[in-house]
Amino acid sequence: MNSGNLVVIAVSTGGPLTLKALFKELPPLDAAFVIVLHITPQMDYRIANGLATTASMPVTLAEDGECLKSGRIYLAPGGFHLKLEGNRRVALCDGARVNYVQPAADVTMLSLGRPLKGKLIGIVLTGMGRDGAEGIRHIHQVGGVTIAQDQHSSTIYGMPKAAAQTGAVDYVLPLKKIAGKLMELLDQTG
Amino acid sequence: MNRRIMIVDDNEYVRASVDIICESAQLELTSAASGPECLKQLEEGFRGVILMDIMMPDMDGWDTIRAMVERGLYQGNIIVMLTGMGEPDSKMEGLQEYVSDYMTKPFSPDELLDSLEYYLTLLNTPAGDHE
Repeated sequence: MNSGNLVVIAVSTGGPLTLKALFKELPPLDAAFVIVLHITPQMDYRIANGLATTASMPVTLAEDGECLKSGRIYLAPGGFHLKLEGNRRVALCDGARVNYVQPAADVTMLSLGRPLKGKLIGIVLTGMGRDGAEGIRHIHQVGGVTIAQDQHSSTIYGMPKAAAQTGAVDYVLPLKKIAGKLMELLDQTG
Repeated sequence: MNRRIMIVDDNEYVRASVDIICESAQLELTSAASGPECLKQLEEGFRGVILMDIMMPDMDGWDTIRAMVERGLYQGNIIVMLTGMGEPDSKMEGLQEYVSDYMTKPFSPDELLDSLEYYLTLLNTPAGDHE
């Protein structure tokens, strides 16, 4: 990574189309994007390819041991949890499901430390359940900026609602405004 | 190229509506009036995008998905839940990974077709080598 900026996104049901809409609005940005979508190994590669057709940044499945690079989008593969060592090195791990799912966004977000360089941004988008809520609380505690999708634009308001209820969310926004907020936070207003 | 859709709904009017919408877009529709009928179609080889009603008598949408997973019939399909309710119930817990989307009835034809076309695109993409 160049800037050290990191954006971690938690998303579940309704995610494929929501991610497509979000990344369609984003120009190439100086940040690494890590997406934790609740998916099976049968679907992860297809979702990554589908997102790559609309995103302005390259999209790949995150691989064990690789270091995140700025300007790229990484999708957590199905069947593993994804941790980020030192906020930049991918570690794929087995283990029990967390919040009934694997990959779980809480595992990824709780693996993050206070950023020594660059900005850390956590986002919770549409989805059933409460995965991402504890992770958002943690990101807030280590000095990151936190965003949750609003009820009206969420396919299912479970995960964003649980995140907002922690009191650790800085911005509750409709999907259409999340791209603009990201550009503002990453100092690239397009 | 796979253009196959299955509607699983005990309401014949919903099935008929989806039939008209799919026909307008040259999509190949299979209809199932219950969870067991859906499983039968899957056992006979259906693979495509499945529009699954939640509230059905005897075997609801969640039970049908659990049966799909247990019998190895999930692979090669994408599931979109259909419901008249605003929010899903707790029976969805543990099934998030198998449900790609969630549409609240009534839905517009354009909204449904946009979703179906995108999911068919994903379905027609190779699954990758680590599946």
